[in-house]
Amino acid sequence: MDVLIVVLFAITLIYLSVTERFSIYTNLIGTQGLLLFFLAFSEMEKITLMNLLFITTETLVFKVLVVPYLLYRIIGKTGIEKVHQKSMPGLYSLLFVSLGLILSIIISHSLHTTTINMIYFIVAFFSIYTGLFLIITHKKIFSHLIGFLVLENAVLLLSLAIGSQMPMLINIGILLDIFVSVLILGIFMMRLKQSAHQLTMLKDD
Amino acid sequence: MTGLVLAILTAVFFPGVITRVKSIASGRKGPGILQPWRNVFVLLRKGSVISATTSFVFRIAPVIYLATIIVAILILPFPGRQSWLGFEGDFVFFAYLLALGKFLFIIGAMDTGSSFEGMGANREALYSMLVEPAFFILFGTLGMLTGHTSMQEIFEYFRMSDYNSVIIGIIAVYLLVQIAMVENSRVPVDDPKTHLELTMIHEVMVLDHSGFDLALIHIGTALKFAMYGTLIANCLIPVSWPVAGQFTLYFAIQLLFAAAIGFMESFRARKKLMKNPQYILTLSSIALMAFVLCLLLINQMIR
Amino acid sequence: MDSIFLIAIIVASFFILLVPGRIRYFYALLVSLFIVALTSIPAIAVFCSPSLSPVSFSAGLPQYSLTFTIDALSAFFILITNLVSLAGMLYSRGYLQAYVTQKSCFELSLHYFCFVWLHFSMLAVLMLRDGLPFLVAWELMAVSSFMLVLFEGEKRITLKTAVTYLIQMHVGFFLLVTAFLICGTSTGIMSFDALKIYFANHRNFGLFLLFFAGFGIKAGFMPMHTWLPGAHPAAPSHVSGVMSGVMIKMGIYGIVRVLMYIQSDVYAIGVFILAISAISGVMGVMMAIVQHDLKKLLAYHSIENIGIIGMGIGLGTMGLGIHNPMLVVLGFGGGLLHVLNHSLFKSLLFFSAGSVYKRFHTRNIEDLGGIIHQMPKTATFFLIGSVAICGLPPLNGFISEILIYAGLFRGLSTGGFNQSVALLLAIIALALIGGLAIFCFTKAFSVVFLGSPRKIHLEVKEVDGGMLFPQAILALLIIAIGLFPVVFVTPVTHILSTLFPMSYPDLSPITGMLTKISLLSFILIAVVLVLFYVRYLVQKKRIIQQGPTWGCGYTAVDARQQYTGSSYAGVINELADPLLHSHTDYQPIAEEEIFPSSRKFETHPVDVFGKGLNVITNFLMLILKKLARLQTGYIQHYILYAFVYILIIFVLLYLKLL
Repeated sequence: MDVLIVVLFAITLIYLSVTERFSIYTNLIGTQGLLLFFLAFSEMEKITLMNLLFITTETLVFKVLVVPYLLYRIIGKTGIEKVHQKSMPGLYSLLFVSLGLILSIIISHSLHTTTINMIYFIVAFFSIYTGLFLIITHKKIFSHLIGFLVLENAVLLLSLAIGSQMPMLINIGILLDIFVSVLILGIFMMRLKQSAHQLTMLKDD
Repeated sequence: MTGLVLAILTAVFFPGVITRVKSIASGRKGPGILQPWRNVFVLLRKGSVISATTSFVFRIAPVIYLATIIVAILILPFPGRQSWLGFEGDFVFFAYLLALGKFLFIIGAMDTGSSFEGMGANREALYSMLVEPAFFILFGTLGMLTGHTSMQEIFEYFRMSDYNSVIIGIIAVYLLVQIAMVENSRVPVDDPKTHLELTMIHEVMVLDHSGFDLALIHIGTALKFAMYGTLIANCLIPVSWPVAGQFTLYFAIQLLFAAAIGFMESFRARKKLMKNPQYILTLSSIALMAFVLCLLLINQMIR
Repeated sequence: MDSIFLIAIIVASFFILLVPGRIRYFYALLVSLFIVALTSIPAIAVFCSPSLSPVSFSAGLPQYSLTFTIDALSAFFILITNLVSLAGMLYSRGYLQAYVTQKSCFELSLHYFCFVWLHFSMLAVLMLRDGLPFLVAWELMAVSSFMLVLFEGEKRITLKTAVTYLIQMHVGFFLLVTAFLICGTSTGIMSFDALKIYFANHRNFGLFLLFFAGFGIKAGFMPMHTWLPGAHPAAPSHVSGVMSGVMIKMGIYGIVRVLMYIQSDVYAIGVFILAISAISGVMGVMMAIVQHDLKKLLAYHSIENIGIIGMGIGLGTMGLGIHNPMLVVLGFGGGLLHVLNHSLFKSLLFFSAGSVYKRFHTRNIEDLGGIIHQMPKTATFFLIGSVAICGLPPLNGFISEILIYAGLFRGLSTGGFNQSVALLLAIIALALIGGLAIFCFTKAFSVVFLGSPRKIHLEVKEVDGGMLFPQAILALLIIAIGLFPVVFVTPVTHILSTLFPMSYPDLSPITGMLTKISLLSFILIAVVLVLFYVRYLVQKKRIIQQGPTWGCGYTAVDARQQYTGSSYAGVINELADPLLHSHTDYQPIAEEEIFPSSRKFETHPVDVFGKGLNVITNFLMLILKKLARLQTGYIQHYILYAFVYILIIFVLLYLKLL
């Protein structure tokens, strides 16, 4: 069952690299959160009740409900709908992301270990690559935020791959990152409102 | 031979079911299930108007198009039956045979010297080129999983018993449905009901065919649907079932496939033409995902 | 072939220059036939002998004799060379008819002389094994083809491309000389057979790379291909057909011969060849799509097919490395069969393109159109060639491609992790090559032959039978190999047992596969004939009218509204933007120009590798221009240079540094 969920996660990543509407980005982030929740649930027998409650709250409540709600509010208030400025068209993004998939397979294979769960590791690596790729190739700051959220999901998946438990520390760290990025950026963007769509990457002048 | 007979039987009701489902989904009653075949018989009784710009290529194109589809169906296996025409690497022959039909169809369209048909020919050539890698990656994956390279043996040894092969089976069926939609020029790549020549892809290539030739093309389209349905049924029908059960399941799958196409067409909009190459390449990426899974399975890196 | 025959051939070819104009062609044809008979008979004898044992003879003076050896590989290539060269010779009569009034008698005699010498030097390359004679024959091949390319040398562009061609051939020659010298100095003998000793004691990959670069320039692998799209269009069509059909295969021959002796690093070499071939194939066909010069398009397709041959060879080498004899058979068998197939359909395509050029005097496809009504036989031959080159059943291109596919899929199932990933990428590349080739040839065939004439409206007749006859023979062979593949594949697989001695498994899966393909091809033809007959019966009683093409309600339809080649290829141009540049020649209308003056708009496709090469050569020219200042022309300065040189030698001797 978990293999199917991880494969669906990889397919959401492929879809993420080609879409253009921000609302679809938000939907995909929500879907990824839901998939991670199911994954965490399937690891249930290895973790304590306290941890389980924490994971449930974090993924289900936070990733599936709160973060997409905040993102929708940002989209609504600032009126940004689409990714207008990309440095490369969708076709090339797709090709590069497929290349990332092949790279992550080759790198995972050359590790020659048996202790890590290979499919989780490959998809985690793939998500890191896709998140970084999103940040590098997109110009709007909202896309950077999405890329950052994908990176956070990748870290969670990596922790699932490597260990059989999910240490509290990693989860608290992820939570803090998400808090900082989404809340602060959201407040910032909602204050700016009209000119938010002109926000692009930071530049030294 | 069994495959050919079953495919012909399916082709009788396939286009009719699609149109009927689309009509019901938009609130109308719709034409009868056999209406497309009544149209074909009317066309068979008509004469033809042939453009003066065309040459013998225009006249041979529909015939070779239909002939390649018929021979392609002959190669398709049916689960549990011994296919005496199958051989190692026959899915390559299958794909290239369909490409031969398409090649002649495209140059037949360009033969008319019309700019609209040139547009359609160009786009059709592009999309069929882009969908080939997905098909080959899919069959490479299935071949790697079962250890054989002929379609007959692949489908015979492809058991959806193991959990991971079920996932690969689901991805395979999904991909085959999407490949069928692209190759038969359906939504989201091409809308068969559009009446604007500038936006047509497949429909515009048959603008100048009339009478017997057009009837051949309609028959070919119906058979093509049945062909892809047979491939999907091959993935899903277990080999160990009794023959009667297999036949019933086959027709059920074809009916479901037709209904699914009807539903997808009703509730989906056509994509912008410029976004189509991207969409078709996404299919190759998903096929690559299936390949990764299979690779891990073979090398025992998955528990 | 004893000394007498050798001397006879050389003397007879010189007589071509002296023979009067009227019998010149027939005399050259006679000499060609003599060479063909002389070399084909031992070649066929090699094939007929049960164990394919090589035949050798020596010729020349007693102290210094040349040894000509024909083994199975040479015999295969010799037969291909003879067939295509003879077809070219037959074709050239009709093609050069138009030039009889334009060119002087001596130029035409020289042309025939060089043609015969090209044929002869290619055969010599295939039969010589010692280093120095091989290199001499290689050089002869380069020089004679250079003279042939220069046939229309009064045009500036032809001169430039011919000189570029000669320079690149010499760069390859230099690499080959270096490779032979390295081998020769360490083993003492300069010959192909010495490679066996060399490879046993040294690293294989380095010397192999040198040989690959040298032979690869001739073959046209991707980074080294830039001479091909210039030389093939510039040469007359029969020369292009022979060059593309057989001359570039000499590079493949050389690579396979070196591969015979490889002992270590075999798998890595195989992956390397596979990678470079896959890139050559995909890039070659993508560049072919955007061309609007018909022969340049065909030249880029040669690069793509060399890529396919290389993929077969690479796969076979990988099979050698992992000791999988089935992969060896499928890979090398597919590659060598594609050598035969490509020489057949490429020369057919070049001959048809030459017929079009002969009648219409332009190679620009944007000006042509609707030729099928005036030249139906040429169009049919071009169609057969197009369907074959796309690798579509039931013609021969498909047979070699399915052998390579079968090998790739077998390797996918049986290999380890990295091998599976590499072979999957190769399968994706081959699938893309097939699709892109269909795209390109639907464009080429339909823009040139179908529709209505675009810019040039000439009343022409079909070319005469002399030009159609060699095309018919090639087309017949193409169809024969497609319908009866087992007859042609079995000898090719026998060749492999002499090249790579190992225990080969039972080859019945391959023959079974090919027999079924043959059966299905016949079924296809039968179904087509049945459908034609049914249509004829049904339409006997119906009214068939003629009318104009449906113009979608627009009444003033013009031939210029048709799809052009650039519009057809435009979508690929957009998709593959950084790889396929288009150079646009257009002055945009400025905002202040209220009444714009007349303009023209031209786009030309640009070869990215050619641009890269230009950057290097421009840099070299810059340095050389600076050095050229030393060449002042005054003799006093040159005496001064000599004096300075003597002074430097004296100083160095004094300081005991010399």
